[in-house]
Amino acid sequence: MFTLEVKKISKVVALTLFAVTTFVNAGDVKDVKGPSFKERAIDGSVEYKVKDNSYAGVYKVNPQVAKEKIKYGRTPSKTEIKAGDIDVRYDWQGLPDGKGSVAKGDELFEAKCAMCHGDMGSGGKGYPKLTGGDITTLKNQLVHPENGDEGPERSIGAYWPYASTLWWYIKTGMPFPHPMSLSNDDVYAIVAYLLSVEEIQIDGKDLDDDYVLDKKKLMKVVMPNVNGFYPDVNGKDGPMVMKKFLSDPKNYGTPTKRCMKDCPTAKVVHIKASLNDGITPPLSEKRDMPKEKKSAGGDNKFAKLYKAKCSACHGNDAIAPKVGKKDSWADRIKQGKDTLYKHALKGFKGMPAKGGNADLSDADVKGIVDYMIEQSK
Amino acid sequence: MNNSNSIDETANRRGFLKNIAASVVAAGALAPVTLSAKDDPALIEEPEWGKKLGFPVDATPYGQPSPYEHNVIRRVHKLLSSGDMYASVAMCPIQDLSGIITPNGLFFHRSHGGAAIVDPNEYRLVIHGLVEKPLVLTLEQLKRYPSESRIHFIECPANGSTEWRAPQFNTLQFMKGMMSSAEWTGVKLSTLLKDVGIKPEAKWVLAEGSDNSHMGRTLPVEKILDDAMVVWAQNGEALRPEQGYPVRLLVPGWEGNLNVKWLKRLEFGDKPWHAKEETSKYTMLTPSGKAIRFFWPMEVNSVITSPCPDKPWTDLKKGDIVEIEGLAWTGQGTVKGVDISFDGGKNWVEANLKGLVLPKSWTRFSYMYKWEGKPILLSSRAYDDAGFVQPTIDQEVKVMGVEAIYHRNAIVTWEVKANGEVNNVHIRS
Ligand code: HEC
Ligand code: HEC
Repeated sequence: MFTLEVKKISKVVALTLFAVTTFVNAGDVKDVKGPSFKERAIDGSVEYKVKDNSYAGVYKVNPQVAKEKIKYGRTPSKTEIKAGDIDVRYDWQGLPDGKGSVAKGDELFEAKCAMCHGDMGSGGKGYPKLTGGDITTLKNQLVHPENGDEGPERSIGAYWPYASTLWWYIKTGMPFPHPMSLSNDDVYAIVAYLLSVEEIQIDGKDLDDDYVLDKKKLMKVVMPNVNGFYPDVNGKDGPMVMKKFLSDPKNYGTPTKRCMKDCPTAKVVHIKASLNDGITPPLSEKRDMPKEKKSAGGDNKFAKLYKAKCSACHGNDAIAPKVGKKDSWADRIKQGKDTLYKHALKGFKGMPAKGGNADLSDADVKGIVDYMIEQSK
Repeated sequence: MNNSNSIDETANRRGFLKNIAASVVAAGALAPVTLSAKDDPALIEEPEWGKKLGFPVDATPYGQPSPYEHNVIRRVHKLLSSGDMYASVAMCPIQDLSGIITPNGLFFHRSHGGAAIVDPNEYRLVIHGLVEKPLVLTLEQLKRYPSESRIHFIECPANGSTEWRAPQFNTLQFMKGMMSSAEWTGVKLSTLLKDVGIKPEAKWVLAEGSDNSHMGRTLPVEKILDDAMVVWAQNGEALRPEQGYPVRLLVPGWEGNLNVKWLKRLEFGDKPWHAKEETSKYTMLTPSGKAIRFFWPMEVNSVITSPCPDKPWTDLKKGDIVEIEGLAWTGQGTVKGVDISFDGGKNWVEANLKGLVLPKSWTRFSYMYKWEGKPILLSSRAYDDAGFVQPTIDQEVKVMGVEAIYHRNAIVTWEVKANGEVNNVHIRS
């Protein structure tokens, strides 16, 4: 331990020396010039203009285009616009009415979400962990795992600044295999459940099992990490705030000088445990003829259909009997093909009719079931 | 030249060659030649493909690369997925690319709910919110607007995210392959929106996709009117499904995720939305415990592509003059120059840019080097006309820490060993 400390100190000294030399030989550090703040674009970058019918001096443009007012298409009706306007902004613009209880949300989560996100959203199934983070860990930096460093534990309650995002995301993105399948009431219930797991309060009260969340109550939620983000872009000058932030590279560790000689350097760190092994397919720079592919068994068409329509669930034993896993299929196969066809076509417990693919013909579904059985015997 | 050898004669010749000790054979011409052990059969023997018909012109209505190139492919890693291959990324084999254009089949593929296959006949783009005249367009109508073509890279801000803590991958494909570059064709939004009329209160735009994830992202109106486009073509053909067929948003230089695919809606508003990818993800946690909320452009960056771990110098002899080649890019302007270091960043020399040097685009650089067979630490450092320089790892980590996940653009260093092998290393205090 002690020697390590000493080593660290001598390194700091060495680095300082380097820095001093750098300053002495000012000619060895070159400034890189950029445009003035005023000339920069909204993201702090160079703003290129059209001049002499040329954009940025490299792309020719047709000057006639700028002079014309071009219009195709039509004005959509209010109903048409409303049908697609499914977002929920942080100030709650767009949040529809509805209500649902924590208990109902618990039930729904268990049935539709827990297979991927774990019990109470606690993770552990390879999919994102939703709950159980800790806002007090957000300063943590996992630099040396070998020294017992711990990283930040992010979760909805510990990290997300707004509950609006939770509602919007679950409504339009989850459950992952079948988004847009939850009613507004169901979404309220699941949001209520996740907020209660994360111990978020409304009006100073815990959300217990029979708590019913509705629009008015949800709009009162202030997430614990609401002030955990910068810069503040919500005011009238939001884009300008961003321009200031991005135009100053000190904000993100980007220099504006090129050191050319005797620059500060440090030690060489090698790869400890390479991740190359997990790459699929394995890396290869060989230029040879591909090996004949072994047929995946069964008709190629059904293998493809299986992959496209069923594998999202059946590729993961946590969600549905995994194809290729004999244990998961032995008892099912014993029921006989007709039963399996029927269950696949009409639905069975967690298995939606045709796996939720109404567009598949009955014959195709049967073909896929044959393929699944073939792969799992 | 006499190409009329009968099949029998050919077979005889092959028989002879296999038995090289016998070594008096008919070469390409008819005269017998004495082979020495040094002679390359690839030069002496008429190759297979010179002695039979190739494949007919109607065999591949949509052409494919040579089967010998079957290892030049996108690759995945379970670690880079959110649970399965529907919310994941397939990395571009940039170690095997030339120039500044990525073939469409190799373009990196990041999706949040699989790649939707959208029926172009049912495609609609709706523009509404704080505008004078809301608009809906079919694909046909959209393509009636005058088009422009631009070469831009698209890079996922998580490119290189596995490197924050320590070097972990020893391949360029997984260190920097979350980006690709193409020539995109479509209409500039400033042209499209002229008749729509943006109201003065409108400061922000929500761009939304029609896929499973209904990806929504907030952009400032200034960018939309500066150089953003709605594009339908990629390297001369329709967008690939993985790139948002039939239409995606193109936001030159900005985070890949903002280039919303399967674009179906642009809503103008007076406030930002704070979508999932602006809160839970795509925000950068810093050592203060607070996170940078929006970060739009991809910063100046570079990497040496030859040599690299995948393309080592193991075939070089001492004294060989070899080209060091690489890619530099910036979303904040145009690459102005690239410096190269042979001693891990202590001393730097200027490399040369080559080929097209375009705004917000990949740019190739080159340096001629005499290989002495001695170990070197090879680094590149790009700078751009916005005045920004690629940081050292220490410079970047000092401000950003190691938990930011996104926007890592620190200098990459290759350890080139005496035998020409190349390894990914970090230079860190
Ligand atoms: C088949 C597995 C699966 C199921 C079932 C599922 N999800 Fe997800 N969920 C995912 C994946 C994958 C992601 C990440 C998507 C991405 O990367 O964009 C995700 C992301 C999320 C997130 C955002 C997490 C974060 O930190 O950004 C929330 C919240 C969420 N899911 C809620 C739900 C709810 C509620 C349900 C049930 C109604 C559900 N999920 C069902 C796979 C699933
Ligand atoms: C949304 C997830 C999901 C999708 C998509 C899905 N399945 Fe299933 N499937 C399930 C679940 C869950 C079960 C297990 C049901 C149970 O026994 O509890 C199941 C079970 C089955 C079974 C066995 C039924 C039995 O009697 O044991 C068959 C056969 C089957 N699925 C076929 C298919 C086919 C074919 C497809 C695609 C067309 C498909 N599934 C798509 C979730 C899914």
